Amino acid sequence: MALISLKNVSVSFPIYGAGSASLKKTLAASVTGGRFGKETGVNVVQALHDINLELKSGDRLGLLGHNGAGKSTLLRTLAGVYEPSAGDFVRQGTVASLIDPSLGIEPDASGIENIMLRGLVMGMSRKQVEGLTAEICEFSGLGEYVNMPVRTYSTGMLMRLAFSISTSVQADILLMDEWLSVGDAEFTEKAEKRMKDVVSKSGILVLASHSPELIARECNKVVRLEHGRLVEH
Amino acid sequence: MSQAHSNLHRSAWADWWEGTRRTDIWWTLAWFDIVLRYRRSMLGPLWLTLSMGAMIAGMGPLYSSLFGTNLSKFFPHLTLGLIFWGLFSAMVTEGCNAFIGSAHYLKQGYFPISLFVWRSMSRNLIQFLHQIVLYIPVALWAGISLSWSALLVIPAFLLLLINAHAIGLVLGLVCTRFRDVTQIVTSLMQMLMFLTPVFWMPESLPGRARYILWNPFAQMLDLLRTPLMGGTATLHSWLGILGWTAGSLVIATLLFAKYRRRVVYWL
Repeated sequence: MALISLKNVSVSFPIYGAGSASLKKTLAASVTGGRFGKETGVNVVQALHDINLELKSGDRLGLLGHNGAGKSTLLRTLAGVYEPSAGDFVRQGTVASLIDPSLGIEPDASGIENIMLRGLVMGMSRKQVEGLTAEICEFSGLGEYVNMPVRTYSTGMLMRLAFSISTSVQADILLMDEWLSVGDAEFTEKAEKRMKDVVSKSGILVLASHSPELIARECNKVVRLEHGRLVEH
Repeated sequence: MSQAHSNLHRSAWADWWEGTRRTDIWWTLAWFDIVLRYRRSMLGPLWLTLSMGAMIAGMGPLYSSLFGTNLSKFFPHLTLGLIFWGLFSAMVTEGCNAFIGSAHYLKQGYFPISLFVWRSMSRNLIQFLHQIVLYIPVALWAGISLSWSALLVIPAFLLLLINAHAIGLVLGLVCTRFRDVTQIVTSLMQMLMFLTPVFWMPESLPGRARYILWNPFAQMLDLLRTPLMGGTATLHSWLGILGWTAGSLVIATLLFAKYRRRVVYWL
């Protein structure tokens, strides 16, 4: 049973080592959308402000907003990276975060080894990863390359590997920053099918995107973030 | 600011245990840290053994004549001194980077931070195991005979691990927040290497300089080295280390309880 509930949730970052607020930065703030404030001599960026959000199984939420509006921070808060600085946060169900699938790929390790590393970090046990490895290799279509160091891969191959690992587990809550689309025409088709499959099996989807068309296609709920605040769409 | 509540919030103890019990994650990460570092070299991690061996073989004869100590007494002393110092120093300085070096994981999901301290500790332990084997030929050559009291090295090693974990948590947190501390710690450790009887014999200290042996690294070294050379560590070292352990545990608990979920904000 998947559930997400945010009540008056705020997230603010202290920014160290950035000097004091200057005119330049104040101007930048009005352009980039973050809200700069001052607190005990340290710059504080109020990334999320008073967010209220209730999601239950079957909800597909699209997050719109320009760069720096707080989309990624909201996704990371939902993933449990940032503990909110204020407010109530309740989350039930397993989470798969596809925020940045190629993060943590070791270039000197082979494809197979990277599957193990990523799998463990995604919360699987060694046994589970070993059980899934053959299927992941098969899906990635990398053939013999899975035994080669990842630094020898082309960008497309790297993306395929990352995609295949990240989408190999089923979770109740799926967090995504932009739709994952990778590789050549043939793989894109396969990947698209897999994405649809993963999304349809998940209870809740939260998808941040710059594309209103994509969100209109995939989501049944839409919110817009502006300067870290939720604006109904 | 109003109080924040989250059902992801675990008690500090549960959070620590959650990171600790996932041995498969931290051990694999540590193993890959070592394997990947030496992947493209022919001898691989054996370089750890070789470079330490070269250092000991080079320094042993010179320093034993400088200090005027018998080589069969000085060689085992120096070997264990350098190898254990390498472990201490790696645990302290790499503890500073425990969280900074794992930022890409921490920013992706909810990880109990104790996991990354275990990762850095096990990496240092793997390194240590590659070096401690050097002591076997040295001990045989020097004709060291061990009694049952050598087993005291086991509780001593446990104390070392407890301290390393506590210090790893403390320095990991502090160095992530205040990036200068890493530099301070590194230079402090360089200095402490000379204030610790790594090369010199503690017996050769004149009476009024014996306060130097209050240095926790000197005490820890005494607990670990002396039993392996057929002697028994001083009571002074045991009591001292127990005191230091209590202190580091208290500080680690306080900082961990307060800042364990805050550290991601500092990365």
